[in-house]
Amino acid sequence: MSITDSDTPYADSELVLDVLQVGPAVVVRIAGSAGMREAEQMRAALEKLADDKPPLIVLDLSSMEFICSMGLGAIIQSHLRSRHHNGQVRLVNPQPAVLDLLETTRLNKLFQIYPSVEQAVRT
Amino acid sequence: MVIASDLEAARQVENTILDEVERYGYSDASAFSIRLAIEEGLNNAIKHGNGYDPNKTVQVAFAVTPQQVVISITDEGPGFDPARVPDPTCDENLEKPCGRGIMLMRAYMDEIHYNPCGNQVRMVKKNS
Repeated sequence: MSITDSDTPYADSELVLDVLQVGPAVVVRIAGSAGMREAEQMRAALEKLADDKPPLIVLDLSSMEFICSMGLGAIIQSHLRSRHHNGQVRLVNPQPAVLDLLETTRLNKLFQIYPSVEQAVRT
Repeated sequence: MVIASDLEAARQVENTILDEVERYGYSDASAFSIRLAIEEGLNNAIKHGNGYDPNKTVQVAFAVTPQQVVISITDEGPGFDPARVPDPTCDENLEKPCGRGIMLMRAYMDEIHYNPCGNQVRMVKKNS
């Protein structure tokens, strides 16, 4: 699955979601910027994945360059949707600026953050 | 600068300001903070202030110098009292998908002030 905004002249506005199945887990590699314009698309995509009721959704944030509060809201929505069927959302390897944002908002208390996809899936 | 109440117009303003920020050599961390504050301020103005009303506009004034960035965002809404916005970092609010914009503007900018009515926010980021 890919969501792109490649028509815009701003390379940093592109958001790409790559989804793969790793055992029972769904791993989503989120690359680019989850800003105010992309957040709604991301929310819809993550909720759709959660509706398939996987036991675990792993969001690989290692290539995410930016996220705003609306993007954070999209991740929280997927967490709420997943928990509805006893599923879980885990985060992987956010870049320093995104990690700082997660800590500032205290969302690092809500989500478990792992250093690698392998560890997030295996644990 | 006066823009329509839509996210594409907001993105164009954001990029205009960020181009200036880049031109003056602000750090990546400062640019991230400024971008975040612009997005939160504009989203609040468009969504909460103007309610996406196409007949309402958002005024954006900015000044980028080598020393600091000053951004002012004004909507046509009735305003609000920012002191009454719940703290999104409280345990009971962590799972709420919304309500972090003002806190993030405060955390990532050096100064943030609302006018008495609450429909204008003025933010300052120093070039450190």
